[in-house]
Amino acid sequence: MTGEFMQLKIWHKMIIGISIPALLTLIGGLWSYKYINDVKKRHSYVQIADDLKEDVLEVRRNEKNYLNYRDHEHFKQVLASITVLTRSIKMISPATIDEIGKDEFLLLNRTSTNYSTVMEKLHAHFHQEKQSIEKVREEGRRLETFAATGEHKVGLSTNFILNLRRLEKNYMLFRDRDSFTQLDNALSQLKGMVESCYDCMPYVEAIRDLFASYEKSDSGIGELQISGNTLEEITDRIARRERQHIETFFTITQRFTLIALILLCTLGPMLVYGTASYIVAPIIRLTEITKKIAEGDLSLRAPIKEHDETFTLAVSFNTMLDHLQLSHKSLEKSMELLREKQEEVEKCASVGLLVSGVAHEMNNPLNNISLTAETMKEEMDVLSHGELNECLQDILNQSDRAKRVVENLLNYVGARKSSAVERLDINSVVNESVNLITNELMVTNIHLNKNIPYTPLYVKGDHNKLEEILVNIMVNAIHALKDADPGVLSVSISHEQADGQVLISIGDNGHGIPESDLKNIFEPFFTTKPTGLGTGLGLPVARKLAREHYGEIEVESKEGEGTTFKIRLPVYEENV
Amino acid sequence: MMIIDDEPIVGRRLSRMFERDGYEVETFIDSEAAARELENRTYEIIITDLKMQNVDGIRILETAVEKNPDVKVIIITGFGRKETAKEAFRKGAFAFIIKPFRFEELRQVIRKAEKEIRNFSSG
Repeated sequence: MTGEFMQLKIWHKMIIGISIPALLTLIGGLWSYKYINDVKKRHSYVQIADDLKEDVLEVRRNEKNYLNYRDHEHFKQVLASITVLTRSIKMISPATIDEIGKDEFLLLNRTSTNYSTVMEKLHAHFHQEKQSIEKVREEGRRLETFAATGEHKVGLSTNFILNLRRLEKNYMLFRDRDSFTQLDNALSQLKGMVESCYDCMPYVEAIRDLFASYEKSDSGIGELQISGNTLEEITDRIARRERQHIETFFTITQRFTLIALILLCTLGPMLVYGTASYIVAPIIRLTEITKKIAEGDLSLRAPIKEHDETFTLAVSFNTMLDHLQLSHKSLEKSMELLREKQEEVEKCASVGLLVSGVAHEMNNPLNNISLTAETMKEEMDVLSHGELNECLQDILNQSDRAKRVVENLLNYVGARKSSAVERLDINSVVNESVNLITNELMVTNIHLNKNIPYTPLYVKGDHNKLEEILVNIMVNAIHALKDADPGVLSVSISHEQADGQVLISIGDNGHGIPESDLKNIFEPFFTTKPTGLGTGLGLPVARKLAREHYGEIEVESKEGEGTTFKIRLPVYEENV
Repeated sequence: MMIIDDEPIVGRRLSRMFERDGYEVETFIDSEAAARELENRTYEIIITDLKMQNVDGIRILETAVEKNPDVKVIIITGFGRKETAKEAFRKGAFAFIIKPFRFEELRQVIRKAEKEIRNFSSG
């Protein structure tokens, strides 16, 4: 299932994600519509049932009237209301009948037809009963007359007859078993009194007929009432059932709405969140990878396991990465080449700088020599002995100067590579270097502030070269301290264990180096010293030598406060 | 005539020779002092080194030309590059001589400058 689902494109996922809730809503809507329609229909059924019940009640009301008056007029009213009922039933559509219950209507129809039949029969019975009553009264009167004439045998008194008539009237009035028993007893007495009283017989017969009539009409009334009750029961049942239906509908609606609301509140957000994250998941996966790649790992690739649009995206992305990685590699190669080239160029530039510096530094003494020589040549005759001597001294000095330039240059270029690398105690190297300048310090009246530990601290290097570095920098310091009063030269050594380095600080409280010059002091032939004092190669040589020892020289200076050179060299370690 | 060069020998030798030729010569080793002097006095001919501490030859040239447009400035330098020479001429230098030079070479240039000055003042 999930496998199939994974194959879907984002586009399809979105359509599904939107259609499912939409479809559910549509179904819910349709269902509600149908449901409300049903409720409406049921409500109309209740109306119908109520109407039927009304009709039946009308019938029953007329029936009661009729049973009270027992006349033709009320009989007609009953029939009319029955007709109303049957017409009402007939007007109900077969579909509705099917819905409410065919059996009920079948029963209702049958019962109403039966009711009519019973009614008509009853009416006939009532008619017969009336005739029977008439007959009883007629025969009674005749019997009275017969008793009054006295033409009968003994025992048949007028009183007895009158009593008989009274009982007859009672019976007609009450129509119950008691009065019938009394009347029947009286009739038995009459039979006993007169053995074969032909004149009495019709009366007895009439009473018997009346009794039968009563029985018939009573049973008719019973039947009618049963039928009427049945009608009432049926319509009542229908109405009740339809009401119940509506009640149930409402209860269901209430529950359903509540459930729908709860589902909407809980499942809804979950469904929306789920769908959204499901749609976005591959994009997020891709994003995470791209983030990592963006952080610099070009060897990573986007996973190509999705089957939606991100698949193409991932493939394109990876292709792009391939290209990028290739370009990156070639770029790195180019950079490497460029670096090499740049180094070359820098070398060339520094060679150019070197050449121009050398030219300047050489041409000046040469110029001096040539000018002096020319003077001597032109003034040979006029020059005093002293002047001549001065000229010769100038020439010698300037040749020395030129020699020094060449020496320094050779040093810088490294032509004299007579290096002897060994394990050296840097403390003693510094001490020896300081000793070399002690005389200078004394002459220039500079105070030395030395802070060198006694425990040996070893570095690997060339004793002479290290000494040259130190002397170069210390001589610079002495020059800077020319005008300082009192001039202080501080030399200290410390072991920076964290970096595994020795730090040699050489500081002075001289005039300092202007910030604009700071960046140039390690450039060859950059000098701020008066002519002849500096070659502009001291610091470049020092730095070059320091770097040969895998060390570095840094400078900190503040104009008017002094300068500190910091020489860092790696500490010699036996196991390295 | 003013001679500025931080090489003291240059000033010493040149002043001696030019004084013998009959010029009035002032020498300066410190270019800054020379620049200050230029503010106070007008010189007809200035010989200056190019690469000096503080104030370099080009600045001296600019200051001098500004003060006296007819001044003849001769630049002498230990290392002359085409661009520097071009710049100097553009800024009104009379000549650009590279060290080491023969005294006679400079003397010719000075004579030429003197001639121009004389022509200008007489004409």
